[in-house]
Amino acid sequence: MTVTGLETAAVPRLVRLRAMGRLGVRMMFHDRLKFLGTISGVVFAVLLAVQQLSILFALLYRNTQFVDNAGADIFIVPPNTRLLQPGEKLHESVLYQARGTRGVLEAQPLLFSAATLAKPSGGSESVTVIGYETTSRLGAPWNIVAGATHNIEQPDTVFLEDSQREKYGAVNLGSTRELNGRRVRVGGFTWGLVPFGPPYAFADIDLARDVATVPIDRMNFVLVRVQPGLRAEDVRDAIAPRVPEALVMTRDQYHHSIVSTLLKEQLGMSFGISTSFGLIIGLVIVSLSMFSSVLDNLREFGTLKALGCTNGDLSILLLVQSVLYALFGSIVGLGWVTNVVEGIRNPLLVPIIPHYVIYAAPVVMVVLCLFASTLALLRIRRLEPGMVFR
Amino acid sequence: MTAPAGNLAIDARNVTKVFGEGALAFTALRGVDFAVAKGELVMLAGPSGSGKTTLLSILGCVLAATDGAVAIDGMTITGLKDATLASIRRARIGFIFQGHNLIASLSARDNVALVLELRGVKRSSALAAADEMLARVGLGDKLKSPPADLSGGQRQRVSIARALVGNPPLVLADEPTAALDAHSGLIVTELLREVAKERGGTVVVVTHDNRIFHLADRIVHIEDGLMKTEDGAHS
Repeated sequence: MTVTGLETAAVPRLVRLRAMGRLGVRMMFHDRLKFLGTISGVVFAVLLAVQQLSILFALLYRNTQFVDNAGADIFIVPPNTRLLQPGEKLHESVLYQARGTRGVLEAQPLLFSAATLAKPSGGSESVTVIGYETTSRLGAPWNIVAGATHNIEQPDTVFLEDSQREKYGAVNLGSTRELNGRRVRVGGFTWGLVPFGPPYAFADIDLARDVATVPIDRMNFVLVRVQPGLRAEDVRDAIAPRVPEALVMTRDQYHHSIVSTLLKEQLGMSFGISTSFGLIIGLVIVSLSMFSSVLDNLREFGTLKALGCTNGDLSILLLVQSVLYALFGSIVGLGWVTNVVEGIRNPLLVPIIPHYVIYAAPVVMVVLCLFASTLALLRIRRLEPGMVFR
Repeated sequence: MTAPAGNLAIDARNVTKVFGEGALAFTALRGVDFAVAKGELVMLAGPSGSGKTTLLSILGCVLAATDGAVAIDGMTITGLKDATLASIRRARIGFIFQGHNLIASLSARDNVALVLELRGVKRSSALAAADEMLARVGLGDKLKSPPADLSGGQRQRVSIARALVGNPPLVLADEPTAALDAHSGLIVTELLREVAKERGGTVVVVTHDNRIFHLADRIVHIEDGLMKTEDGAHS
């Protein structure tokens, strides 16, 4: 080594890596068209994948939101229940067994029935009537956008979904409608409480019994609140042996049951495919852009090899580019998708981008870009330094 | 060659290079012996396809000989692994290419400094040395210029600066004047000779530009893959 009079670093390898990283950045920004092409690949991958995931989470939330917001720590449901839907009824003895269990602060019945709302102009719309004990908050409506919460305690009063007003025949506060032939008055409106089935309509449990003709000793679910300081799992274990004819789940268990059932049976495959398509499209664009960039600069890479760069050095160069492409693209893509999902937000679909998706997106994109760079790397590895003399 | 073996910058013996196989095989070098003493400026001349660039590529550790032995600065390079050859190129050889081959995204000073950084020289020292070398080749006012903003002659000067910075024992130049007009070609070669001599470097220039022959310490002719002796016979 004849680098006389020059200060060499203690770790020359580190200096080389830095030089390669710096060169990678310079080369990346030098060809602006390629830069934009590659970045757009990452941006579209983030946009498509995260947008699809946000809709998936929105659809899942539509079906778990009652479980999440009902105020119950434990749900006692008919056996084999996996989703939240009207079905088999429980006997009231289950309610009393729950109330008699140590650790239970409160247990309330809940009705969950399909019903038909007649429109003044003729025709009807389906609703899912949730009848709850209005002296309690267990099973009560949330996201109330019109009407006072206590209105529901008034006789023959229901709360309907705000986004369905026109469908229900321009219904307003104080309007009257027939629910399964029973005359009811609208006391309030909720926003966005629409599962996969008909929208929720909340009513006092006695009114719901009347509407759905459910005997006084029957109910769909029992909602339980546990005493402060106790674990829901412990109280669930205490209730379960007392009600062998029912299934006892904590809120998290029920939530997970709904999510996993929907993913397995309906949503998982279709959204898995569409999300994967987004990632694959990004992978292809980034891969081709980086490969094409290497092809355009073959002579430069050959020169670098002739000057003494190893394949490892040039891998660092591509690695730095991959990471930067992934990070820049993720930032732009996440910014864009946030605006897109806000634009498509409506009561029937409230796209959700969980925090962990925002954190995971750049990580996934880094992996994707690193994978995409392998094609370019293979080309560089095959490149002979002797080509610079040809 | 009269220099003793210990004073040789290049000692290539019986070097053969065959490209391709079977009926398509083409022999570019046929058992060439070539030695250059340290500090010497040798020009390799010959018509196109004579094998001079092939020989330069083998001496530059970017192409393996099919047969024969090559030593650079006393170190035998034949049969070494790619990574080892890369480290020899990095530390011991400066290259000047026909098309200058500067990195388009880097400024003149970064192009020159890069070679030193690859050798493990700290960036600040590398930049200082690059600035000094560029000033030496008359480009002190073009430090931050990208190659696209430089003329052909200026680019080749940057290329010379890149090849000579850090004083590599051996500088290999492939047709350094090919892309330049006669005047610029002469100036660039004079500069190469001047800076290399003052730094004690050995230079091998492949050229068929007879306008610069007078700058050589020795001219070696190569034809059909064979060295020609001074009387014109093949050796």
